[in-house]
Amino acid sequence: MKTLLIGEYRDGKLLDSTYELLGFAGQLGAEAALFLVGSDSALPAYGGKLYLAPASEAGEFNPDLHKQLVLDAVKKENPDCIVFIHSSYGWDLAPRVAAALKAAQVSEVVAVKDGGYEVGACNGKMRRLIKPATAQAVITIQAGAFQPVQPGGSPQVEKLAVSASSAIEFLGYEPAEDKAVDLAKAEVIVSAGRGIGKKDNVSVIAALAKALGGELGASRPVVDAEWVTHDHQVGTTGQTVSPKLYVACGISGAIQHLAGMKKSDFILAINKDKDAPIGEVADVLVVADLMQFVPALTAKLT
Amino acid sequence: MLIVVCIKQVPDTTQVQIDPVTNTLVRDGIPFIVNPYDTHALEAALQLKDRFGFRVAAISMGPPNAEAALRKALSLGVDRAILLSDRVFGGADTLATSNVLTRAIQLLHADEKVGMVLCGKQTIDGDTAQVGPGIATRLGYTQLTLVDRVENVDTLRGKIRVRRKLEGRHEVVESPFPVMLTVVRELNNPRYPTVPMRLASEDARVELWNNEVLKLDVGTIGLKGSPTWVSRIFSPERAKGEVIGDGLKDPSGAAHLLIDKLLSKDLLAI
Repeated sequence: MKTLLIGEYRDGKLLDSTYELLGFAGQLGAEAALFLVGSDSALPAYGGKLYLAPASEAGEFNPDLHKQLVLDAVKKENPDCIVFIHSSYGWDLAPRVAAALKAAQVSEVVAVKDGGYEVGACNGKMRRLIKPATAQAVITIQAGAFQPVQPGGSPQVEKLAVSASSAIEFLGYEPAEDKAVDLAKAEVIVSAGRGIGKKDNVSVIAALAKALGGELGASRPVVDAEWVTHDHQVGTTGQTVSPKLYVACGISGAIQHLAGMKKSDFILAINKDKDAPIGEVADVLVVADLMQFVPALTAKLT
Repeated sequence: MLIVVCIKQVPDTTQVQIDPVTNTLVRDGIPFIVNPYDTHALEAALQLKDRFGFRVAAISMGPPNAEAALRKALSLGVDRAILLSDRVFGGADTLATSNVLTRAIQLLHADEKVGMVLCGKQTIDGDTAQVGPGIATRLGYTQLTLVDRVENVDTLRGKIRVRRKLEGRHEVVESPFPVMLTVVRELNNPRYPTVPMRLASEDARVELWNNEVLKLDVGTIGLKGSPTWVSRIFSPERAKGEVIGDGLKDPSGAAHLLIDKLLSKDLLAI
């Protein structure tokens, strides 16, 4: 089996996720060739074949130009499987390539199993095992699902030229901004409970929320003590939420609070007391002193 | 100009439970809803209608009961609602679904020029995010995914400028019509139907298009036209309350283990 792995650059740097693609190919036991739109100055540590197109001409992401370049590489390499990371880049580009090749696509693969690809369904509550039936298949893999492999060496580079044109005009980037609080829409919520000890410590929890790209939530005692405003409150007297990730910091797990957040897809509890009721709904629990652990976690995330 | 919004009726996955004995989905009593991301696509289309006077059509492929989703779209103010329903469409994967929706849009275009197709960024039951781009490629429309803001519509020059939500930043791009956008939740707050609109929608017509209307080759639709096979559906193993590391003695080590865990669950790139 032959794979063509579509790596990514951002701001001129090769993204580490590129090596997860190599990990995936390794699990398949497949031959791998890499494809990158990047530059000569930041080549991957990989001794195999690399199709390289210049980001100076194609941009770090122009969907029309990158599609043409991937299709050119597919033509030369004739792979069985074209693999992307399920990032905003792969999200956008993979289905275009699949449609152009009339190939089956399998999105956000989390494991290779029994000759098929395991993917999530129903918001991650279920798994499906999917088998593509076309000669060529397009795959996106979940970021972090496969162990990165960094084989080392220098690639044998085959350069690709930009020949397509695009109707899309790139006007610039904007940084992610601070949003108003809307917990119902948030995909990540990091909540502070009485266990944070004092008002000054709210900023520690807020910093973790920011590092995770989420919103600050709170339990009722924290709101009643006026450490945090009411619009952040989760629970029966606050908002009912079901984000993808809910982090409960120093929240023991009063039933009113649990009612407001137990439908979250994944619950992480950080608490001093390993027997607190929050542990009954949590997927994972870290038993720690909040003011030691949370700053350490935030530091590693930023 | 006509804007076409593709919507899907899905089970409310926040209410889906796993049967602990059979390890399968409990479907009984699970309400069906309009895919939440699609409600933002509908709202975006209706805002453009309010501002520029575009007309809006909602289309949905599904079983006869998917009419409820289209009736909801009518209650919100779409001008046409079309249910694409036929036994031969059943069992479709994303590719076969794209074929049906594409043909429907082409037929709508024959009546009234289509300038824009709007879809949610993904559905909450399938999670594939393939159908919108599949339609765009087949129609030859410019594809703009993950849109979190419509910055400008220039009706004179026939261009749209949008902002896309990427990892940790946004991208602003402009494209001429026709375009296919997929939208994220941050784009807007969907409206609720007014009482008169809801009452009116009960009598409004949901058009039914089957394959006698679409005339698609049966090899390209439904189960036969689907190149991916779901060989198994099962419940993921869920380790309740797993304790990570020793946060009291080694906070830094526990943080490291926790990050690995969150990465493996794809929770750090949301």
